[in-house]
Amino acid sequence: MEAAEIKKLLIRSLDSDADPEAAARKLEEAGVAFHFSKGFRDRVLERVYSTGYTVIRKVEFIRNLNSAFYRIALTGVAAIVILLISIFLMEGPLSFNSFLGLSDSYDESIICLLTGN
Amino acid sequence: MIKESYRQKEENELVKASLNGDKQAFGEIVTRYQGMVARTVKGMLGDLVFAEDIGQEVFIKLFFSLSEFRGESKLSTYIQKIAVNLTLNEIKRRKRFFSMFMLKDYDEMYEFDIADHDTEERKEASEIVNKALMRMDPKFRIIVAMRMLQGYSTKETAEILNLPIGTVLSRLSRAQEQLKNILGKL
Repeated sequence: MEAAEIKKLLIRSLDSDADPEAAARKLEEAGVAFHFSKGFRDRVLERVYSTGYTVIRKVEFIRNLNSAFYRIALTGVAAIVILLISIFLMEGPLSFNSFLGLSDSYDESIICLLTGN
Repeated sequence: MIKESYRQKEENELVKASLNGDKQAFGEIVTRYQGMVARTVKGMLGDLVFAEDIGQEVFIKLFFSLSEFRGESKLSTYIQKIAVNLTLNEIKRRKRFFSMFMLKDYDEMYEFDIADHDTEERKEASEIVNKALMRMDPKFRIIVAMRMLQGYSTKETAEILNLPIGTVLSRLSRAQEQLKNILGKL
């Protein structure tokens, strides 16, 4: 099949009313074929069975943990920033007392509160 | 060597046998679907060596998720979904890597390793398709790969890509426009 014909076939194969199976078959006949190299099946089986299930499972676990860690870390940082902003807005400048929510409390009032006197 | 009996087994039987640790049964699954996976992975990533690694990853992932396969859809659809997801992840990963190190655009770096073809005409046909696919936007490339290389209908494409049929149809028409422009320059 000549280049011009191939191009027409490619464009026509995307028509909504085209028969995609027929177009795929024609392309394959024209030489458009994708294959893995020889021994692909054996290499897959070797990786699955010989390297051991545990190694692959471990890698999978670490990969999942890694992606989960990033999500948790980002959420944590966002929560801390929101907390700091809310403290700043409610209490004014940031201090140790404002973190503990003690800015409006005095020693006497705390003693009164705890002892009831 | 795969025993002849495995070749005649239904896919559900092969899945069950694989889950019971039958290596030959899983080997038969790989043999049956490696062509389909090659068309998806190489159609989207290019006919390159690393595409084969992704192909292997597809079957490894399949092996470890076989217990989740409930047989509600065809095994081919299930494998195809894994292949599409892993390939799209790889495209994203490579794009990020190449842009991070200010290398020239990933898609332009392809040097095609077209498999042996018996005639120049067949080789040229393969080159045209590869180059056109690689110049396409990945979201259109996947639709084109499903349609052109796998011969899937709009409905099947929508099911595999988890998209509404209307979206597939609109992407098909936009992909066709993009393909016309690309092929005009080749």
